[in-house]
Amino acid sequence: MNRLTPSFSAATAAVVFVALALVPVLDSGYWTGQATRYVLFGMFAMSLSLLWGRAGLLAFGHAVFFGIGGYGMASLTMGLFGDGTVWALLARPWVALPVSVAGAGLAAAALGWFLFLGRGVSGAYLAIITLSVAVIVEQAVRGVYALGGDNGLVGVPALGAWAANPFDPVPMFYAVLVTAVVVYVGLDLLLRSRVGALLTAVSTNPDRLGHFGYSVFAVRLGAFVLGAAIAGLAGAMFVATDGFASPSLIGFGLSAEVLIWVALGGRSIVLAAFLGAVAVRLAEAFLSGLLGDFWLLALGLVFMGSVVLLPQGLIATPMLWLNNRLGQGSKSKSRAAPGPANEGMV
Amino acid sequence: MIEALPIFLDALSFVLILVLVASGLVIVFGMMGIINLAHGELFLLGAYTVVVAQGLGAPFWLAAALAPLVVGLAGLAIELLLVRFVVHRPLDTILATWGLSIAIKQIVVLAFGPGSHSVAVPIDGAISVGGFTYPAYRIVLMVVATAVIAGAGYVLVRTRMGLLARAVIARPDTSANLGINTGRVTQVSFAVGAGLAGLAGALVAPLISVDPQMGLGFLVPAFLAILVGGAGSMTGLVAGGSLVGGLDSLLGGWVSPVLAQITVFVLAILVIRLRPGGLFPGRGRRP
Repeated sequence: MNRLTPSFSAATAAVVFVALALVPVLDSGYWTGQATRYVLFGMFAMSLSLLWGRAGLLAFGHAVFFGIGGYGMASLTMGLFGDGTVWALLARPWVALPVSVAGAGLAAAALGWFLFLGRGVSGAYLAIITLSVAVIVEQAVRGVYALGGDNGLVGVPALGAWAANPFDPVPMFYAVLVTAVVVYVGLDLLLRSRVGALLTAVSTNPDRLGHFGYSVFAVRLGAFVLGAAIAGLAGAMFVATDGFASPSLIGFGLSAEVLIWVALGGRSIVLAAFLGAVAVRLAEAFLSGLLGDFWLLALGLVFMGSVVLLPQGLIATPMLWLNNRLGQGSKSKSRAAPGPANEGMV
Repeated sequence: MIEALPIFLDALSFVLILVLVASGLVIVFGMMGIINLAHGELFLLGAYTVVVAQGLGAPFWLAAALAPLVVGLAGLAIELLLVRFVVHRPLDTILATWGLSIAIKQIVVLAFGPGSHSVAVPIDGAISVGGFTYPAYRIVLMVVATAVIAGAGYVLVRTRMGLLARAVIARPDTSANLGINTGRVTQVSFAVGAGLAGLAGALVAPLISVDPQMGLGFLVPAFLAILVGGAGSMTGLVAGGSLVGGLDSLLGGWVSPVLAQITVFVLAILVIRLRPGGLFPGRGRRP
């Protein structure tokens, strides 16, 4: 099927993350700072890949959770809520970070409960409803004066690793990269476990999963909350890196962008989604100056072409090809048949 | 009482504009199940057709008559070159049309610049009733919009072409078995839906600032209006459009417009969630 073997997956992930770890060696200034953001966007893309590529939930408003993590981090560390003992404790960056992540997860639990309970919404209805939610949340945040309105929150304190010397982006980069590796390995292990089989089942045939006695609601809600928490983590770290939480992080624009990254990279392979985000941001950094207004046109056209011709994604397709090519010697054509993971599930 | 009349007329004109914009979408999305996120950009192309035609010296009404033809042809091209290849993968249709909407928006930016254009109001003057005056063009727009919406509904329900369209939309396999050229009917339906969006853009152009971002503001309310009313029928659309547009407009005069829109969107989501078929479920294909 459309899955990578564990060894191929581990090898490509090792190559990608080691290559990223070498970025500060090449340039410890501007590009390390940029790479930090790319890796965080990549983490954000991984969380959407879990939701959309695996659980089959096309969320058109995923930036809402990125933004909740970001605004949570910003408002807590800037002490917007007051000076009491509890708030002082929550204002510490390493305390605020998990609290913001939990906030994103809780918001997703509430929204997911509403969306998936009973005869829940899925497919196109889910896309339109989440799109509307993103528009609502962005407008609400823009209208709240305490959160900075249109200007956002400026002056978010840096995380510990970077706070010692705010002009050196290297410590924060490695903190972010290690987090991304941990998230990736965690997701990879999770998706190869029973949970991965359940997610595949819920996206391909939810009714049959229900007949087997599983709760479709619980699987969808779990995926939604986990995806939102990872997005919130990326958002919180992004805001701490940038020192700035703006309404554009929480709304429709970024939601649509992350969808493009994941679609271009490859929705069903977490690493391809990660690389999709990094590649599009990198291409934008180089090409938007060169092409000017033609850049967005090119992105739109490439995106259209990729959806029609290579729906697996521009990065996942060659990865799968190489994977199948290398695996042909040992496994011959057995990959076309249901794999061992599926048998284990039944 | 007479003081409240302008507010109600504003609400009514907003409802009619919204229903007009969404009437093309109700064919493409509500009935055919194609989630066309580029619908806002078809609306945009209609408005820019008027800008270009007026720039060339054409009178407004000629430009407005040209817009649905131009945008309808664009819709036909979109169906032939893009939608046809992804229509059997509904979720990918969302992505492909989203890419298309980015591309169209950017082509417009490249051709006309990112700034806004204004279209001269074709009918100056105001109609005065009792103690207040109301812009004459808005009244004319409301009449034209009502006629177009009623006409679209009539064609769908009472003509052979509408019957074919509804047959192909509701039961594509059966229709094909009965010898209907389903591919052709789908193309024409899509082009008509696009043409209606273009006509809406042209008619609304004198009232709003025409800029490359104008499509998105109408896209979300249009989708919500269709889902609230019940995807798949003109009746449902009129009901949904009245609720979404009317409430938005009336609340907007009372609380802030932003708060009004948030309230309406939240209510719309609640309705869609609790009544997935909408308030007036049609017999169209449901995604």
